[in-house]
Amino acid sequence: MSEEEQAYEPKIVAFLCKWCSSAGSDLAGVSRIQYPANATPITVPCSGSISPLYILSAFNKGADGVLLSGCHIGDCHYIEGNYLARRKIYLIKELLEMVGVEPDRFRMSWVSAAEGAKYAQVVKDFVADLKPLGPQNKLKADRT
Amino acid sequence: MIDVQSIRDAARDLLAKGEVRAVIGYQRGSRGMLAEPVTITDPEQADELVWDATCFHNLALYLVEDRKALAHAQRTPNLPIAIVAKGCDARAIVVLMQEHYFKREDVYIIGVSCEGGGVLVEYKLARLLNGAQALSAVIDGAELVVTTLAGEVRLPASEVMADRCLECREPFPKEHNVVFGEDQTSRQLVAPFTALARFEALSEADRWAYWCRQFERCIRCFACRSVCPMCYCDECVVDSITFPVAPETTAEEKANRIRWIERSAVRSENITYHMTRAMHLAGRCIDCGECERVCPVNIPLRLLNNKMEREAREHFGYEPGASIGGPSLVASFRDDDPGQFIR
Repeated sequence: MSEEEQAYEPKIVAFLCKWCSSAGSDLAGVSRIQYPANATPITVPCSGSISPLYILSAFNKGADGVLLSGCHIGDCHYIEGNYLARRKIYLIKELLEMVGVEPDRFRMSWVSAAEGAKYAQVVKDFVADLKPLGPQNKLKADRT
Repeated sequence: MIDVQSIRDAARDLLAKGEVRAVIGYQRGSRGMLAEPVTITDPEQADELVWDATCFHNLALYLVEDRKALAHAQRTPNLPIAIVAKGCDARAIVVLMQEHYFKREDVYIIGVSCEGGGVLVEYKLARLLNGAQALSAVIDGAELVVTTLAGEVRLPASEVMADRCLECREPFPKEHNVVFGEDQTSRQLVAPFTALARFEALSEADRWAYWCRQFERCIRCFACRSVCPMCYCDECVVDSITFPVAPETTAEEKANRIRWIERSAVRSENITYHMTRAMHLAGRCIDCGECERVCPVNIPLRLLNNKMEREAREHFGYEPGASIGGPSLVASFRDDDPGQFIR
Protein backbone atom coordinates (compact mmCIF):
# COMPACT_ATOMS: atom_id res chain seq x y z
CA MET A 1 0.00 0.00 0.00
CA SER A 2 1.42 3.38 -0.96
CA GLU A 3 1.78 6.21 1.52
CA GLU A 4 -0.95 8.14 -0.21
CA GLU A 5 -3.42 5.29 0.13
CA GLN A 6 -2.59 4.94 3.80
CA ALA A 7 -3.24 8.60 4.37
CA TYR A 8 -6.64 8.40 2.69
CA GLU A 9 -9.51 8.29 5.12
CA PRO A 10 -12.91 7.69 3.55
CA LYS A 11 -15.74 9.98 4.55
CA ILE A 12 -18.85 8.04 5.50
CA VAL A 13 -22.30 9.50 5.96
CA ALA A 14 -24.28 7.27 8.31
CA PHE A 15 -28.05 7.63 8.46
CA LEU A 16 -29.06 6.09 11.78
CA CYS A 17 -32.56 5.38 13.01
CA LYS A 18 -33.16 7.28 16.20
CA TRP A 19 -34.83 4.31 17.95
CA CYS A 20 -32.06 1.77 17.46
CA SER A 21 -28.88 2.36 15.48
CA SER A 22 -28.40 5.84 16.83
CA ALA A 23 -28.61 4.47 20.37
CA GLY A 24 -26.43 1.57 19.23
CA SER A 25 -23.70 3.97 18.10
CA ASP A 26 -24.06 5.73 21.42
CA LEU A 27 -23.61 2.42 23.23
CA ALA A 28 -20.48 1.76 21.20
CA GLY A 29 -19.20 5.09 22.47
CA VAL A 30 -20.07 4.71 26.15
CA SER A 31 -18.73 1.14 26.10
CA ARG A 32 -15.40 2.62 24.97
CA ILE A 33 -15.28 0.35 21.91
CA GLN A 34 -12.52 1.50 19.56
CA TYR A 35 -13.69 1.97 15.97
CA PRO A 36 -12.75 4.29 13.11
CA ALA A 37 -14.00 7.87 13.32
CA ASN A 38 -14.83 8.06 9.61
CA ALA A 39 -18.59 7.89 9.96
CA THR A 40 -20.56 11.10 10.39
CA PRO A 41 -23.83 10.08 12.02
CA ILE A 42 -27.09 11.71 10.97
CA THR A 43 -30.04 10.68 13.10
CA VAL A 44 -33.27 10.10 11.20
CA PRO A 45 -36.69 9.26 12.66
CA CYS A 46 -36.83 5.85 10.95
CA SER A 47 -34.94 3.97 8.26
CA GLY A 48 -38.22 4.09 6.31
CA SER A 49 -38.06 7.89 6.31
CA ILE A 50 -34.99 7.80 4.10
CA SER A 51 -35.58 9.31 0.71
CA PRO A 52 -33.35 7.98 -2.08
CA LEU A 53 -32.42 11.59 -2.56
CA TYR A 54 -30.65 11.65 0.84
CA ILE A 55 -28.32 8.95 -0.39
CA LEU A 56 -27.73 10.45 -3.82
CA SER A 57 -27.27 13.86 -2.27
CA ALA A 58 -24.68 12.53 0.22
CA PHE A 59 -22.67 11.14 -2.69
CA ASN A 60 -23.20 14.39 -4.56
CA LYS A 61 -21.82 16.37 -1.62
CA GLY A 62 -18.68 14.24 -1.53
CA ALA A 63 -19.32 11.21 0.68
CA ASP A 64 -17.07 8.25 -0.13
CA GLY A 65 -19.56 5.84 1.36
CA VAL A 66 -23.11 5.96 2.67
CA LEU A 67 -24.31 3.74 5.49
CA LEU A 68 -27.93 3.32 6.40
CA SER A 69 -28.82 1.54 9.57
CA GLY A 70 -32.17 0.72 11.12
CA CYS A 71 -34.00 -1.65 13.43
CA HIS A 72 -34.09 -5.38 12.86
CA ILE A 73 -37.07 -6.67 10.89
CA GLY A 74 -40.02 -6.88 13.24
CA ASP A 75 -38.60 -4.34 15.70
CA CYS A 76 -39.62 -1.11 13.98
CA HIS A 77 -40.99 1.52 16.33
CA TYR A 78 -43.45 2.43 13.58
CA ILE A 79 -44.28 -1.25 12.99
CA GLU A 80 -43.41 -1.40 9.28
CA GLY A 81 -40.95 1.40 8.50
CA ASN A 82 -37.97 -0.91 8.03
CA TYR A 83 -39.95 -3.21 5.73
CA LEU A 84 -40.64 -0.23 3.48
CA ALA A 85 -37.00 0.84 3.75
CA ARG A 86 -35.80 -2.61 2.71
CA ARG A 87 -37.74 -2.40 -0.54
CA LYS A 88 -36.78 1.17 -1.35
CA ILE A 89 -33.13 0.69 -0.49
CA TYR A 90 -32.97 -2.47 -2.55
CA LEU A 91 -34.08 -0.46 -5.58
CA ILE A 92 -31.63 2.38 -5.04
CA LYS A 93 -28.81 -0.10 -4.48
CA GLU A 94 -29.61 -1.80 -7.78
CA LEU A 95 -29.77 1.56 -9.53
CA LEU A 96 -26.39 2.67 -8.16
CA GLU A 97 -24.84 -0.57 -9.36
CA MET A 98 -26.47 -0.25 -12.76
CA VAL A 99 -25.01 3.22 -13.25
CA GLY A 100 -21.57 1.86 -12.35
CA VAL A 101 -20.99 3.06 -8.79
CA GLU A 102 -19.01 0.46 -6.82
CA PRO A 103 -21.47 -1.68 -4.79
CA ASP A 104 -19.22 -1.38 -1.72
CA ARG A 105 -19.87 2.34 -1.46
CA PHE A 106 -23.35 1.87 -0.19
CA ARG A 107 -24.29 -0.31 2.73
CA MET A 108 -27.28 -1.05 4.87
CA SER A 109 -27.34 -2.77 8.22
CA TRP A 110 -29.72 -3.64 11.04
CA VAL A 111 -28.28 -2.53 14.40
CA SER A 112 -30.40 -2.53 17.54
CA ALA A 113 -29.89 -0.23 20.53
CA ALA A 114 -28.15 -3.09 22.37
CA GLU A 115 -25.68 -3.83 19.57
CA GLY A 116 -22.92 -1.31 20.18
CA ALA A 117 -20.29 -3.89 19.27
CA LYS A 118 -22.07 -4.70 16.02
CA TYR A 119 -22.22 -1.03 15.05
CA ALA A 120 -18.48 -0.71 15.66
CA GLN A 121 -17.89 -3.81 13.53
CA VAL A 122 -20.10 -2.52 10.70
CA VAL A 123 -18.18 0.76 10.55
CA LYS A 124 -14.84 -1.04 10.79
CA ASP A 125 -15.72 -3.36 7.89
CA PHE A 126 -17.09 -0.50 5.83
CA VAL A 127 -13.95 1.59 6.26
CA ALA A 128 -11.79 -1.42 5.39
CA ASP A 129 -13.83 -2.01 2.22
CA LEU A 130 -13.81 1.65 1.23
CA LYS A 131 -10.08 2.27 1.59
CA PRO A 132 -9.00 0.28 -1.49
CA LEU A 133 -11.66 2.06 -3.59
CA GLY A 134 -10.16 5.50 -3.04
CA PRO A 135 -12.07 8.78 -3.14
CA GLN A 136 -15.53 8.78 -4.70
CA ASN A 137 -15.55 11.10 -7.70
CA LYS A 138 -18.32 9.62 -9.78
CA LEU A 139 -21.31 11.34 -8.24
CA LYS A 140 -19.43 14.10 -6.45
CA ALA A 141 -20.43 17.54 -7.64
CA ASP A 142 -17.81 19.33 -9.67
CA ARG A 143 -17.97 22.84 -8.27
CA THR A 144 -14.80 24.25 -9.76
CA MET B 1 -56.39 -3.69 -38.35
CA ILE B 2 -58.51 -0.98 -36.78
CA ASP B 3 -60.72 1.06 -39.03
CA VAL B 4 -60.10 4.68 -38.06
CA GLN B 5 -63.71 5.44 -38.91
CA SER B 6 -64.86 3.39 -35.91
CA ILE B 7 -62.81 5.61 -33.56
CA ARG B 8 -64.25 8.72 -35.23
CA ASP B 9 -67.80 7.38 -34.91
CA ALA B 10 -67.30 6.59 -31.24
CA ALA B 11 -65.92 10.06 -30.56
CA ARG B 12 -68.70 11.75 -32.55
CA ASP B 13 -71.37 9.73 -30.71
CA LEU B 14 -69.97 10.53 -27.28
CA LEU B 15 -69.80 14.26 -28.01
CA ALA B 16 -73.15 14.43 -29.79
CA LYS B 17 -74.95 12.61 -26.98
CA GLY B 18 -73.27 14.85 -24.43
CA GLU B 19 -71.72 11.95 -22.57
CA VAL B 20 -68.27 13.51 -22.48
CA ARG B 21 -67.08 17.09 -22.49
CA ALA B 22 -64.13 16.51 -24.84
CA VAL B 23 -62.18 13.78 -26.61
CA ILE B 24 -58.40 13.64 -26.48
CA GLY B 25 -57.04 11.93 -29.58
CA TYR B 26 -54.66 12.26 -32.49
CA GLN B 27 -54.99 14.36 -35.62
CA ARG B 28 -52.84 14.85 -38.68
CA GLY B 29 -50.15 17.31 -37.73
CA SER B 30 -48.28 19.99 -39.60
CA ARG B 31 -45.18 17.82 -39.90
CA GLY B 32 -45.98 15.58 -42.85
CA MET B 33 -47.09 12.11 -41.91
CA LEU B 34 -46.78 12.58 -38.16
CA ALA B 35 -49.84 12.64 -35.96
CA GLU B 36 -50.21 15.14 -33.14
CA PRO B 37 -52.38 15.22 -30.02
CA VAL B 38 -55.66 17.10 -30.21
CA THR B 39 -58.58 17.79 -27.91
CA ILE B 40 -61.92 18.01 -29.70
CA THR B 41 -65.13 19.31 -28.20
CA ASP B 42 -67.33 19.52 -31.30
CA PRO B 43 -68.82 16.35 -32.89
CA GLU B 44 -68.03 17.86 -36.30
CA GLN B 45 -64.32 17.66 -35.53
CA ALA B 46 -64.45 13.90 -35.00
CA ASP B 47 -63.52 13.28 -38.65
CA GLU B 48 -60.14 14.88 -38.02
CA LEU B 49 -59.11 12.05 -35.70
CA VAL B 50 -56.50 9.64 -37.02
CA TRP B 51 -54.97 6.39 -35.88
CA ASP B 52 -51.75 5.09 -37.41
CA ALA B 53 -48.18 4.12 -36.60
CA THR B 54 -47.16 7.72 -35.87
CA CYS B 55 -49.45 8.11 -32.85
CA PHE B 56 -46.45 8.12 -30.49
CA HIS B 57 -47.72 10.38 -27.75
CA ASN B 58 -48.86 9.09 -24.42
CA LEU B 59 -52.12 11.00 -24.20
CA ALA B 60 -52.46 10.33 -20.46
CA LEU B 61 -50.30 13.44 -20.13
CA TYR B 62 -53.22 15.53 -21.38
CA LEU B 63 -55.50 14.11 -18.70
CA VAL B 64 -53.02 15.45 -16.18
CA GLU B 65 -52.90 18.78 -17.98
CA ASP B 66 -56.71 18.87 -18.04
CA ARG B 67 -56.83 18.16 -14.32
CA LYS B 68 -54.36 20.93 -13.60
CA ALA B 69 -56.27 23.41 -15.75
CA LEU B 70 -59.52 22.54 -13.95
CA ALA B 71 -57.90 22.94 -10.55
CA HIS B 72 -56.50 26.27 -11.61
CA ALA B 73 -59.92 27.45 -12.84
CA GLN B 74 -61.54 25.94 -9.71
CA ARG B 75 -64.03 24.07 -11.85
CA THR B 76 -65.48 20.63 -11.19
CA PRO B 77 -67.16 19.47 -14.40
CA ASN B 78 -69.88 16.84 -14.15
CA LEU B 79 -69.00 15.16 -17.42
CA PRO B 80 -66.03 12.86 -17.97
CA ILE B 81 -63.36 13.45 -20.58
CA ALA B 82 -62.75 10.79 -23.23
CA ILE B 83 -59.32 9.69 -24.31
CA VAL B 84 -57.95 7.51 -27.08
CA ALA B 85 -55.57 5.15 -25.31
CA LYS B 86 -53.09 2.54 -26.50
CA GLY B 87 -52.02 -0.28 -24.19
CA CYS B 88 -49.29 1.79 -22.56
CA ASP B 89 -51.49 4.90 -22.28
CA ALA B 90 -54.18 2.85 -20.55
CA ARG B 91 -51.65 1.54 -18.04
CA ALA B 92 -50.55 5.13 -17.36
CA ILE B 93 -54.18 6.09 -16.73
CA VAL B 94 -54.52 3.16 -14.32
CA VAL B 95 -51.45 4.34 -12.38
CA LEU B 96 -52.87 7.86 -12.19
CA MET B 97 -56.15 6.48 -10.86
CA GLN B 98 -54.28 4.25 -8.42
CA GLU B 99 -52.67 7.41 -7.09
CA HIS B 100 -56.09 9.09 -6.87
CA TYR B 101 -55.14 11.70 -9.39
CA PHE B 102 -58.67 11.37 -10.78
CA LYS B 103 -61.49 8.88 -10.44
CA ARG B 104 -62.49 6.15 -12.85
CA GLU B 105 -65.76 7.91 -13.67
CA ASP B 106 -63.87 11.08 -14.64
CA VAL B 107 -62.42 9.36 -17.70
CA TYR B 108 -63.96 7.56 -20.62
CA ILE B 109 -61.30 5.35 -22.17
CA ILE B 110 -61.57 4.65 -25.89
CA GLY B 111 -59.08 1.80 -26.03
CA VAL B 112 -57.17 1.03 -29.21
CA SER B 113 -55.14 -2.15 -29.42
CA CYS B 114 -51.77 -1.97 -31.11
CA GLU B 115 -52.41 -5.60 -32.13
CA GLY B 116 -49.28 -6.90 -33.84
CA GLY B 117 -47.83 -3.45 -34.31
CA GLY B 118 -46.92 -0.34 -32.40
CA VAL B 119 -45.48 3.02 -33.24
CA LEU B 120 -42.59 3.60 -35.59
CA VAL B 121 -39.34 5.44 -35.07
CA GLU B 122 -38.66 8.18 -37.56
CA TYR B 123 -34.95 7.53 -38.01
CA LYS B 124 -35.46 3.81 -38.59
CA LEU B 125 -38.03 4.57 -41.27
CA ALA B 126 -35.91 7.26 -42.89
CA ARG B 127 -33.01 4.83 -43.15
CA LEU B 128 -35.11 2.22 -44.91
CA LEU B 129 -36.76 4.70 -47.25
CA ASN B 130 -33.43 5.99 -48.46
CA GLY B 131 -34.42 9.60 -48.36
CA ALA B 132 -37.89 9.28 -49.86
CA GLN B 133 -40.54 11.41 -48.16
CA ALA B 134 -43.20 9.37 -46.36
CA LEU B 135 -46.74 10.73 -46.52
CA SER B 136 -48.45 8.19 -44.31
CA ALA B 137 -47.55 5.08 -42.37
CA VAL B 138 -50.01 2.43 -41.23
CA ILE B 139 -49.26 -0.95 -39.73
CA ASP B 140 -51.06 -3.83 -41.43
CA GLY B 141 -50.38 -7.10 -39.66
CA ALA B 142 -46.64 -7.67 -39.65
CA GLU B 143 -46.02 -5.05 -42.30
CA LEU B 144 -45.80 -1.28 -42.33
CA VAL B 145 -47.50 0.28 -45.32
CA VAL B 146 -45.81 3.55 -46.21
CA THR B 147 -47.11 5.89 -48.86
CA THR B 148 -44.42 7.95 -50.54
CA LEU B 149 -44.55 10.23 -53.55
CA ALA B 150 -43.25 7.34 -55.64
CA GLY B 151 -45.99 5.01 -54.46
CA GLU B 152 -46.68 2.46 -51.79
CA VAL B 153 -43.86 0.64 -49.98
CA ARG B 154 -44.36 -2.34 -47.67
CA LEU B 155 -41.72 -2.82 -45.00
CA PRO B 156 -41.43 -5.41 -42.22
CA ALA B 157 -42.98 -3.66 -39.21
CA SER B 158 -40.42 -5.05 -36.76
CA GLU B 159 -37.67 -3.12 -38.54
CA VAL B 160 -39.24 0.30 -38.09
CA MET B 161 -41.05 -0.11 -34.80
CA ALA B 162 -39.87 1.53 -31.61
CA ASP B 163 -37.90 -0.69 -29.20
CA ARG B 164 -40.50 -0.15 -26.52
CA CYS B 165 -43.20 -1.50 -28.85
CA LEU B 166 -41.10 -4.50 -29.81
CA GLU B 167 -40.57 -5.30 -26.14
CA CYS B 168 -44.18 -4.46 -25.18
CA ARG B 169 -45.88 -7.11 -23.07
CA GLU B 170 -49.32 -5.60 -23.14
CA PRO B 171 -50.31 -3.92 -26.40
CA PHE B 172 -53.99 -4.20 -25.47
CA PRO B 173 -55.61 -1.61 -23.18
CA LYS B 174 -57.14 -3.78 -20.46
CA GLU B 175 -58.84 -0.85 -18.75
CA HIS B 176 -61.35 0.63 -21.21
CA ASN B 177 -64.95 1.68 -21.70
CA VAL B 178 -64.91 0.71 -25.34
CA VAL B 179 -62.12 -0.93 -27.26
CA PHE B 180 -61.14 -1.37 -30.89
CA GLY B 181 -58.80 -4.00 -32.27
CA GLU B 182 -57.93 -7.49 -31.16
CA ASP B 183 -56.29 -8.50 -27.94
CA GLN B 184 -52.85 -9.77 -28.91
CA THR B 185 -51.31 -9.63 -25.46
CA SER B 186 -49.45 -12.89 -26.03
CA ARG B 187 -47.57 -11.56 -29.06
CA GLN B 188 -43.83 -11.74 -28.53
CA LEU B 189 -41.80 -9.70 -30.98
CA VAL B 190 -38.66 -9.28 -28.88
CA ALA B 191 -38.20 -10.61 -25.35
CA PRO B 192 -38.96 -7.92 -22.74
CA PHE B 193 -35.94 -6.10 -21.29
CA THR B 194 -33.70 -7.20 -24.18
CA ALA B 195 -31.90 -3.85 -24.35
CA LEU B 196 -31.45 -3.85 -20.59
CA ALA B 197 -30.02 -7.36 -20.51
CA ARG B 198 -27.57 -6.41 -23.26
CA PHE B 199 -26.48 -3.37 -21.28
CA GLU B 200 -26.13 -5.23 -18.00
CA ALA B 201 -23.72 -7.69 -19.54
CA LEU B 202 -21.15 -4.87 -19.60
CA SER B 203 -18.58 -4.59 -16.82
CA GLU B 204 -18.92 -2.01 -14.07
CA ALA B 205 -16.23 0.22 -15.61
CA ASP B 206 -17.87 0.01 -19.04
CA ARG B 207 -21.28 0.80 -17.59
CA TRP B 208 -19.88 3.86 -15.87
CA ALA B 209 -18.08 4.99 -19.03
CA TYR B 210 -21.32 4.53 -20.96
CA TRP B 211 -23.39 6.63 -18.57
CA CYS B 212 -20.69 9.30 -18.46
CA ARG B 213 -20.93 9.65 -22.21
CA GLN B 214 -24.72 9.84 -22.00
CA PHE B 215 -25.04 12.24 -19.09
CA GLU B 216 -22.32 14.61 -20.23
CA ARG B 217 -24.63 15.40 -23.13
CA CYS B 218 -27.73 16.12 -21.04
CA ILE B 219 -28.70 19.78 -21.32
CA ARG B 220 -31.31 19.58 -18.55
CA CYS B 221 -34.11 20.79 -20.77
CA PHE B 222 -36.45 18.67 -18.62
CA ALA B 223 -38.26 17.44 -21.73
CA CYS B 224 -38.31 13.94 -20.19
CA ARG B 225 -40.06 15.33 -17.16
CA SER B 226 -42.47 17.48 -19.17
CA VAL B 227 -43.62 14.64 -21.38
CA CYS B 228 -44.06 12.13 -18.57
CA PRO B 229 -47.65 11.67 -17.36
CA MET B 230 -46.29 10.48 -14.01
CA CYS B 231 -44.21 13.61 -13.42
CA TYR B 232 -47.20 15.67 -12.37
CA CYS B 233 -45.78 17.42 -9.29
CA ASP B 234 -46.08 21.19 -9.46
CA GLU B 235 -43.00 21.43 -7.34
CA CYS B 236 -40.11 19.28 -8.55
CA VAL B 237 -37.64 18.34 -5.85
CA VAL B 238 -34.65 18.48 -8.19
CA ASP B 239 -35.55 21.75 -9.87
CA SER B 240 -35.32 24.79 -7.61
CA ILE B 241 -37.15 27.16 -9.95
CA THR B 242 -40.38 25.20 -9.56
CA PHE B 243 -40.56 25.96 -5.85
CA PRO B 244 -43.59 28.14 -5.24
CA VAL B 245 -42.99 31.78 -4.60
CA ALA B 246 -45.79 33.87 -3.09
CA PRO B 247 -45.73 37.63 -2.44
CA GLU B 248 -45.07 36.89 1.21
CA THR B 249 -42.08 34.59 0.50
CA THR B 250 -39.04 36.29 1.95
CA ALA B 251 -35.63 36.39 0.33
CA GLU B 252 -34.29 34.47 3.30
CA GLU B 253 -36.82 31.68 2.81
CA LYS B 254 -35.91 31.44 -0.85
CA ALA B 255 -32.20 31.33 -0.07
CA ASN B 256 -32.61 28.70 2.63
CA ARG B 257 -34.60 26.19 0.64
CA ILE B 258 -32.92 22.85 0.34
CA ARG B 259 -31.44 22.44 -3.09
CA TRP B 260 -30.65 18.77 -3.25
CA ILE B 261 -28.90 19.20 -6.54
CA GLU B 262 -28.07 22.16 -8.72
CA ARG B 263 -29.72 22.99 -12.02
CA SER B 264 -26.42 23.34 -13.83
CA ALA B 265 -26.05 20.85 -16.66
CA VAL B 266 -22.88 19.14 -15.46
CA ARG B 267 -22.35 15.40 -15.29
CA SER B 268 -22.70 14.89 -11.55
CA GLU B 269 -25.93 16.89 -11.32
CA ASN B 270 -27.34 15.27 -14.46
CA ILE B 271 -26.71 11.79 -13.13
CA THR B 272 -28.29 12.64 -9.80
CA TYR B 273 -31.29 14.15 -11.57
CA HIS B 274 -31.86 11.11 -13.77
CA MET B 275 -31.35 8.64 -10.93
CA THR B 276 -33.78 10.56 -8.76
CA ARG B 277 -36.27 10.53 -11.58
CA ALA B 278 -35.82 6.78 -12.08
CA MET B 279 -36.45 6.24 -8.37
CA HIS B 280 -39.54 8.43 -8.40
CA LEU B 281 -40.85 6.42 -11.33
CA ALA B 282 -40.11 3.03 -9.79
CA GLY B 283 -43.33 1.04 -9.81
CA ARG B 284 -45.07 3.85 -11.71
CA CYS B 285 -43.31 3.92 -15.06
CA ILE B 286 -45.36 1.92 -17.53
CA ASP B 287 -42.67 2.00 -20.23
CA CYS B 288 -44.34 4.22 -22.80
CA GLY B 289 -40.82 5.30 -23.75
CA GLU B 290 -41.84 8.92 -24.31
CA CYS B 291 -38.90 10.29 -22.27
CA GLU B 292 -36.47 8.56 -24.57
CA ARG B 293 -38.32 9.67 -27.69
CA VAL B 294 -38.39 13.35 -26.79
CA CYS B 295 -34.80 13.54 -25.53
CA PRO B 296 -33.06 16.03 -27.84
CA VAL B 297 -29.68 14.46 -27.15
CA ASN B 298 -30.86 10.82 -27.36
CA ILE B 299 -30.09 9.61 -23.86
CA PRO B 300 -31.39 6.03 -23.50
CA LEU B 301 -33.55 6.83 -20.49
CA ARG B 302 -35.62 3.70 -20.90
CA LEU B 303 -32.70 1.66 -19.58
CA LEU B 304 -32.97 3.28 -16.15
CA ASN B 305 -36.73 2.94 -15.96
CA ASN B 306 -36.66 -0.60 -17.34
CA LYS B 307 -34.18 -1.55 -14.67
CA MET B 308 -36.56 -0.43 -11.93
CA GLU B 309 -39.48 -2.09 -13.67
CA ARG B 310 -37.68 -5.40 -13.97
CA GLU B 311 -36.45 -5.40 -10.37
CA ALA B 312 -39.98 -4.66 -9.17
CA ARG B 313 -41.35 -7.46 -11.31
CA GLU B 314 -38.77 -10.10 -10.47
CA HIS B 315 -38.21 -9.38 -6.80
CA PHE B 316 -41.46 -7.88 -5.61
CA GLY B 317 -43.90 -9.40 -8.09
CA TYR B 318 -45.10 -5.92 -8.92
CA GLU B 319 -46.55 -4.91 -12.28
CA PRO B 320 -47.13 -1.15 -12.74
CA GLY B 321 -50.51 -0.22 -14.13
CA ALA B 322 -52.06 -3.60 -13.40
CA SER B 323 -54.79 -2.61 -10.97
CA ILE B 324 -56.49 0.56 -9.84
CA GLY B 325 -57.11 -0.57 -6.28
CA GLY B 326 -53.78 -2.26 -5.52
CA PRO B 327 -51.07 -0.80 -3.27
CA SER B 328 -48.18 1.05 -4.86
CA LEU B 329 -44.71 -0.49 -5.06
CA VAL B 330 -42.92 1.53 -2.41
CA ALA B 331 -45.88 1.81 -0.04
CA SER B 332 -46.22 -1.95 0.35
CA PHE B 333 -43.97 -4.84 1.31
CA ARG B 334 -43.88 -8.60 1.61
CA ASP B 335 -42.20 -10.68 4.27
CA ASP B 336 -39.98 -12.33 1.70
CA ASP B 337 -38.66 -9.17 0.07
CA PRO B 338 -34.93 -9.56 -0.63
CA GLY B 339 -32.85 -8.55 2.40
CA GLN B 340 -29.63 -10.53 1.98
CA PHE B 341 -27.73 -7.36 1.12
CA ILE B 342 -28.37 -5.97 4.61
CA ARG B 343 -25.70 -6.70 7.21
